[in-house]
Amino acid sequence: MKKKYRMIHDENLCIGCQACSVACRSENKVPDDLFRLQVRVKTEGVFPDLRMDMKRHSCVMCEDTPCVTVCPTGASFKTEDGLVQVDPKLCVSCKYCIVACPYEARFINPVTKNADKCTFCYSNRVSKGQDPACVTVCPTDALVFGDINDTTSEVYKKAKESTLVYPKAHLGTKPKLAFVPNKKGVSYE
Amino acid sequence: MSSTYSRRDFLKTTSCTAIIAGSSCMAAKLGSLDNNIINGGVTKSVNTYCEMCSSRCQIECKVVDGKVSFIEGNKHSKGMSTSVCARGASGHSQLYDNQRLVKPMIRVGKRGEDKWMVVSYEKAYDFIAEKLKKITDEYGAKATLFSSKTGENFNHIATFANIFGSPNIFSHVSTCPITYDIAFEHTYGGKLKRDFSNAKYILNFGHNLFEGIAVSKTKKLAHAANSEKTKLVVLDPRFSVVASKADEWYPVKPGTDLAFVLSLIHVWLRDGKYDKEFVEKYTIGIEKLIESTKDTTPKWQEQITGIKAEVAERVANEIYKAAPNCIIDWGHKTTTGASEYQKTRAILVANVLMGNLEKAGGLFFGKKAKSVNKIANMDIAPVITNPDGHIKYIQEERIDHATQKGANVFVSRKMGVLMDIPDAILSQKPYPVKAWIMTRTNPLITVANSQKMKKAMEKLDLIVVNDVYMSETAMMADVVLPEATYLERDEGIADVSSMAPAYMMRNKVVDPINKTQTISEILRALAKRLDLDSNYKWQTVTNFRVQQAKGNSELLEKLAKDGYVSFGVPSLLYREKSYVDNFVKKYPSAASNLDSDGLFANMLKFKTPSGKIEIFSEEVEENFPGYGVPAKHDTDVAKGYPYIITSGKTALHTNGHTQNIPFLNMLMSDNPVWVNPLTAKKENIKNGDLIYLENNIGKEKATVFVTEAIRPDTLFVYMGFGRESEELKRANGKGTSQSKLLSLDKGPVCSTMITNIGVKITKA
Ligand code: SF4
Ligand code: SF4
Ligand code: SF4
Repeated sequence: MKKKYRMIHDENLCIGCQACSVACRSENKVPDDLFRLQVRVKTEGVFPDLRMDMKRHSCVMCEDTPCVTVCPTGASFKTEDGLVQVDPKLCVSCKYCIVACPYEARFINPVTKNADKCTFCYSNRVSKGQDPACVTVCPTDALVFGDINDTTSEVYKKAKESTLVYPKAHLGTKPKLAFVPNKKGVSYE
Repeated sequence: MSSTYSRRDFLKTTSCTAIIAGSSCMAAKLGSLDNNIINGGVTKSVNTYCEMCSSRCQIECKVVDGKVSFIEGNKHSKGMSTSVCARGASGHSQLYDNQRLVKPMIRVGKRGEDKWMVVSYEKAYDFIAEKLKKITDEYGAKATLFSSKTGENFNHIATFANIFGSPNIFSHVSTCPITYDIAFEHTYGGKLKRDFSNAKYILNFGHNLFEGIAVSKTKKLAHAANSEKTKLVVLDPRFSVVASKADEWYPVKPGTDLAFVLSLIHVWLRDGKYDKEFVEKYTIGIEKLIESTKDTTPKWQEQITGIKAEVAERVANEIYKAAPNCIIDWGHKTTTGASEYQKTRAILVANVLMGNLEKAGGLFFGKKAKSVNKIANMDIAPVITNPDGHIKYIQEERIDHATQKGANVFVSRKMGVLMDIPDAILSQKPYPVKAWIMTRTNPLITVANSQKMKKAMEKLDLIVVNDVYMSETAMMADVVLPEATYLERDEGIADVSSMAPAYMMRNKVVDPINKTQTISEILRALAKRLDLDSNYKWQTVTNFRVQQAKGNSELLEKLAKDGYVSFGVPSLLYREKSYVDNFVKKYPSAASNLDSDGLFANMLKFKTPSGKIEIFSEEVEENFPGYGVPAKHDTDVAKGYPYIITSGKTALHTNGHTQNIPFLNMLMSDNPVWVNPLTAKKENIKNGDLIYLENNIGKEKATVFVTEAIRPDTLFVYMGFGRESEELKRANGKGTSQSKLLSLDKGPVCSTMITNIGVKITKA
């Protein structure tokens, strides 16, 4: 059976420590001052009624992919497991994908000159049975990754026991990255 | 996705394209790292432990073609699994930083002028040895100071100081955990650990494990905070990350936490809601506590802390209901002000009243090999020894008078008080100090009143600094010795027992770049030149390890391979039935040590003068009248100034050490001062404005960061910024150094550095 990869970011466990971001840089040789992944920390409210939200900012691995649709050369593509990748041999740096992506996930890598983004560490780790680098290092287990078809997997368990929210769900891009929204602090919904 | 995030606007964003240009000419002059000295070679994985901060988490380092390429947690350590923090994951960014020091240097310009001559190690050692001999001939060995942050480096330098004949050895402890070290000594006769995982209630006084990270503890607290079964209540003047994860957060007025704790104690004693049996059996001094807290009511604390009386009443009752599965957390360095000792003692005593000692979800003593072997009546885990154990601390008078009657009577001769150094040097009292040798420390950033420290340093004849970077302190040196980082050195075995015995060992991941030497090699080279080397009983690190392990090659092999070893001993809590049963099931020979009620409570030993837990300490009362029992104390830290400046840790940096490391500097390169919008309005300042923070100690520039996440009377900066060394090219000139505003006055009894202090704001 084809793998159905999912990543879950539990905002309640996340402490915004950026270990994931550093591990990503280290594993994927992300050029200085650019990021495939950040966790943005946002404090809202009026003292002392506050809340702090941790938002993962990276490619969300759309099922319905604006970036792939606009790519004129086929450099942006989906693997058979549905993970969106960029083929460096085909990329012509036209930046269409950067504009098309509603999640501001892409940038031009000044070293390779290609469009670059979070790959879920597909070729370097996941295809070898390892977790993505960010998931591996997270100090609080806020990130869970795996094949949701596998009912023994952590990600299956996590998905079952949590209320998942998908980023910008209204766009219909069907992300493979889901969030468990923050329950703590004063609510301003 | 919106990019309006307010807490860390200074966290750089994804779309930023600037690339930091490396500067090469100064680097060459400094003997910094050139890329071509990294050898190619093997691909492997090495298990060791981290030193990007002092938590020393176990890590695994992947080496590809001879270069460290990825760092993750060491899966052999269950508490870690593959987790690591951002700093730990950046270890190789420091290792290969082209601004790192890799060649010894001798000063050629005026002190602090940044003019150097690159020399060989031999030449540097000859120079140091000759100077030391001269100083010692004239002023005695005690005229040389030694200092280091604690850890194996500290142990080596302390050993050397003792062989050399100087009593003046200093760790970083007086600027950091000294209060709880001493308060524990006085209360339980030793330190305790916290079982966050099983606690039903955690009362946290700004112990910010989510920014001051120690991975396995952070992980446990994160899961506890997220669990329905645990209630987390946080007191902190600032909405920190741990506050944001709490069930309840109270923005306590800085420095006043003591009043809140005393009110809890008042409620428990007033209502008889405490573990009377435990108090009766194990403690002395409850009647003194009843007396000292009779007026410390919830109402009384309200005017001091700003926390409503009902809250104190309710929290006291909730904790009592959760007891003994509760933790009243003394924090790490919640250093507030002069009341720090009493606050910490009050917290420890509050735990005593809840009877949570050696209970699940409470507090416990570390279970080292020696104790479990004794209980099991057999050797279940190997005991290690100290190959330098024969070398004794020099008993001469220290410059800070530690252990002598007076302010520092309770300060250990091993740790000393860094804040007392400037006055001793400047006044030449009790005797002249002429030299300072240090490793892994940067007092010009981490110790109060760095202006005065710098003046004192100017008076010395010899300063030797061993560091990875050209720190502010290194800048003042006569000789700078580059440090072989933790990824480039082998070290001995360290005991990391928790509820069961465990050891870890530092294993070299790659050969030292440019053959930089470790502090133990440096000290031994000096010992040879000073004819002191015969005092050592070991020659190489391997030797040292073998002696530690008493020849146990199986243990050594395992540590070399896995970096961390535990022995399958079940977690043990002396007063928790299920834990005791488990232990006895595995080691039936332990049964003879059981108490009549089937526990190991008789194994509890308190190394206090009375042999009991001391709620009242006669020793303390004698030396500091009024301090023998937790009691009211002056909690005013503003001292007439309109604001209180506080500081704390970020998950992205460590003290004064990491601000220049590329990966981490990329994430945070500045520390703007947190200002509440009401305060900003009152002072007529706005986000991004340059201001001065000023008091009678100093004046320091700061950039305004307007945020709701702080009390209007309080200001906050992350520590370690405001760097003056121009050789820290990324960090130089950015942010605020809070140390410049801190006074050298110390907290009574514990001699702690005071890090909350009054300031006013003036416009730049
Ligand atoms: S490593 Fe984990 S806890 Fe830290 S920011 Fe990333 S997801 Fe959050
Ligand atoms: S988040 Fe952006 S880059 Fe990632 S798959 Fe969706 S459209 Fe493409
Ligand atoms: S907390 Fe981070 S920096 Fe400190 S020792 Fe652990 S991994 Fe290293």
